Amino acid sequence: MSLSRSMRRRVAVSLLATVAVVGVFTTRLVDLQVVRADALTQQATKIQKASYITYGTRGSIVDANGIVLADSVQRWNITAAPNTFASWAANPPRGENPSTALAKIAALTGADPQEILRALTADPTKNYVRLVLSVKLATFQKVKALGLAWLSSEPEPARSYPQGAIAGNLVGFTGTGSTPLAGLELSAQSCLASSNGSTSYEHGADWVQIPASSRVTKAAKDGGTLKLTLDSDLQWFSQQALQEQVLAQGAKWGTVAVVRIKDGDIVAAAQYPTVDPNDVDATSPENRGARFFTSPYEPGSIMKPATVASLMDAGKLTPYDQVVVPSQYSTGFPAGARITDVFAHPTMRWTATGIIEQSSNIGISVISERLPVAQRTAYLKKFGFGSPTAVDFLGESGGLVQDPASIDVISDKAQQFGQGISVTSAQMAGLYQTLGNGGVRVPLTLAEGCERPDGTVTDQPSTEGTRVVSAEAAQNTLLMMETVAEYSNISKIVTIPGYRIAAKTGTAQVADPATKAYGKERNVSVAGISTVDNPQYAVVVTLGEPTKIKTSMAAAPVFAAVMKQVIKTYRIPPSTTTPPNIPLTW
Amino acid sequence: MRRLFAAETSEYFLLLGATVFLVAFGLVMVLSSSSIQSGADGGDFFARASRQGLFALIGLPIMLILARLPVRFWRRWSWAAIVGSVFLQLLVYVPGLRYGNGYNTNWIRIGPVTAQPSEFIKLALVVWFATILARKQDLLRDWKHVAIPIIPVAVVAIGLVLGGGDLGTAMILFTIVLAAYFFAAVRLRIIAVFLLGAALVAYSLSQIRSSRVDRIQVWLQGCTNPDDALTSCYQTLQGWYSLAHGGVFGSGLGNSIVKWSWLPAADNDFIFAVIGDELGLVGAIVVLLLFVLLAFAFVRIIRMQRDMFPRVVVGGVMVWVIGQAFVNIAVVLGLLPVLGVPLPLVSAGGTALIGTMAAIGIVLSFARHHPDAADTGLREAPAR
Repeated sequence: MSLSRSMRRRVAVSLLATVAVVGVFTTRLVDLQVVRADALTQQATKIQKASYITYGTRGSIVDANGIVLADSVQRWNITAAPNTFASWAANPPRGENPSTALAKIAALTGADPQEILRALTADPTKNYVRLVLSVKLATFQKVKALGLAWLSSEPEPARSYPQGAIAGNLVGFTGTGSTPLAGLELSAQSCLASSNGSTSYEHGADWVQIPASSRVTKAAKDGGTLKLTLDSDLQWFSQQALQEQVLAQGAKWGTVAVVRIKDGDIVAAAQYPTVDPNDVDATSPENRGARFFTSPYEPGSIMKPATVASLMDAGKLTPYDQVVVPSQYSTGFPAGARITDVFAHPTMRWTATGIIEQSSNIGISVISERLPVAQRTAYLKKFGFGSPTAVDFLGESGGLVQDPASIDVISDKAQQFGQGISVTSAQMAGLYQTLGNGGVRVPLTLAEGCERPDGTVTDQPSTEGTRVVSAEAAQNTLLMMETVAEYSNISKIVTIPGYRIAAKTGTAQVADPATKAYGKERNVSVAGISTVDNPQYAVVVTLGEPTKIKTSMAAAPVFAAVMKQVIKTYRIPPSTTTPPNIPLTW
Repeated sequence: MRRLFAAETSEYFLLLGATVFLVAFGLVMVLSSSSIQSGADGGDFFARASRQGLFALIGLPIMLILARLPVRFWRRWSWAAIVGSVFLQLLVYVPGLRYGNGYNTNWIRIGPVTAQPSEFIKLALVVWFATILARKQDLLRDWKHVAIPIIPVAVVAIGLVLGGGDLGTAMILFTIVLAAYFFAAVRLRIIAVFLLGAALVAYSLSQIRSSRVDRIQVWLQGCTNPDDALTSCYQTLQGWYSLAHGGVFGSGLGNSIVKWSWLPAADNDFIFAVIGDELGLVGAIVVLLLFVLLAFAFVRIIRMQRDMFPRVVVGGVMVWVIGQAFVNIAVVLGLLPVLGVPLPLVSAGGTALIGTMAAIGIVLSFARHHPDAADTGLREAPAR
């Protein structure tokens, strides 16, 4: 080799220098890629990472057969960037100008172009403003097709009520963004509510999402399905029949309850007027709630079966007891006060059954003397009056049962025939369920439970019954009520050939809210059970303050129609026994 | 004829192997780092990578053909090469042909073809320096002979490149001058004086262009302020984020985030960041070791030369390739301000790839046979 020593040294130095530089680089690489990696990645994440909301779906509300009453749907909010709009409007592309663009959006969405313009120009530095809320897919697509760069959109979950007004007052409704406002939508929020999740992703400088970079940082959770006991077909039928009669009789309101006796399930709970949750504004605010649960009223004579059942349970009465019923009742009353029947009569010799058949207030007052007021009140409370039902509907009222210690002498007796006491339609349905169920009160049920997305069912209501009166007392009460369907003035309307129907009418005086005294208005009802020998369903129909027929005759056609529909819907077999022919007089 | 097909030396295969490996590796990384931007620009994700592949296919035969040429060929054509390449560099000043981005306009475009003439200047200077120094090898104790004619020609060449705005290439040209002197056994003291003079010139020049000053100041501050992340430190920080994202074992080939339009020049000046991201610390160190291997091969070839001419050429090419690689990596690591120098053999860029491969082809031509066994056809005095 011919290299000089100095040249060999220079070559060696250059190689050493190379290795030294690589050593420096390696140190730096370790510093950047290992030591400071986390801190740098954290900085980078601020720029490179973004996230978007994933929407959980609010649960639906379905009836007993799975028919959807409330459902979640996707809507879109049309949003815009005022800052982009400002620069676009200052120099619009050829063939376009702000006013026609706004007019097009307004025409598609039905919004006011002036409102849109105001939203866009209120603060031209903002990059986000909502222009139109909750538009449907077709509209959203048409708006998008306008191709305006400053327009954008965001998904907006909304609610749809496919059955409209059917059970609308029970289902309730929601406001913007699915905010629950009323009914089960609000009270079952813990079941229905979904929670939104978020997904993070990495993106390029041009905001292109990098494939496979999305990570679910928080999973969206869907709400549960609230399953009701209602049969939406029967609910519709009841609502329809009720509405026709309320309008025909010029009544202020009406309710229909159908309860399955063995398990306390409310299979129909209709009211009129009611609300269509799709169009809440069409109904005045006082009619948007569930009167069925929230509005107590004085029920009148349909309370009498509770009285005779109580007395029979206490061993103080049989259907055959012979009672002398005077022409008026004023025992122990202050001067001038008296209880009368709706029709004038001399002193009558009615059996206990006859008192029910004739719906005699005087008779009920006479036999009520057989049991102290404290015990009678205790029975009323055991029947469920004075406290809300197990449904615990939003804003449910417990009605009013007077305190036996301070009750006045007239109300003492009047409560027993449904005056001076206030109840809800739901409580009254509970009374007839108890009488039909051999005296065992089963908690009323509107929601069977909440089915979570994973299939588990929660919030199942209690089905444990409590005995109120003996089975014999309950059955005898039905036999007494059967005479009403057989012989009273509603007999022609409510008779269903082949079926032994127990029924009771009520024509309650309505206290004038101004004078606190009873006026001319009446709340009229028919309550009953099918069938006496095999009680399966209880039906209670009430019309509030009818103006044409002011007796229970006004409610009877609805009762008959609904009862027939119940028999058809649930295929109730005809009776196989005959009535015992209890004497009504002696 | 026998010599034409005789087996080459082990140094030949070491250099050839390391080069081909780096080129092939570069193609993979160019594909990975350019595909997203290519797709975003024109819809074809393979556009830049296939162009680079085409250049590699052009560069490879050029390298192998040059490796077959005799030493006297280079000495005969060195003057023509320097004149020709300076002429090409002058085209950068012709308005219709000038082409570039922002401040760096050191490109020419003729029809669809774009080229960076400064790459040819590098090659021509290496050969020409060696020719001059070999001829003057007995006179190099005198600084005047060292300076003339090399310094004037170098000043013209570097000046023309600086005029195009390409500070990085100018720096590489300067180190090539130093390398030529170094391997021509010019006294270190003379080299030191030249270096000092050049440093003064460089400092005064750097004050002229404000964008340069900004970059250098940002570099001096160390890019520690996150507020600079979207402004002056942008490119450096993005490179760091990329390296940090890779960690020790890398995010995996194709998984870099910064190549999604974050990092400008991800497929050339900052390709090392993408390598460090996708292949991790391990991959980055392997690339460093490949350049060490390349340097080792160059050194082995220098050692086997009897004559000064090939020694100076190989030394020049070594400093060019390894030096440029180090400048490039130092920029990515934030050890140098952003200079805009590609990573030799790896980065995207046709002229640079072909130029570098041609230079290595010349080196290979010196390594085919041990000079003891070969007849160069020239009489040489032994180097001192």
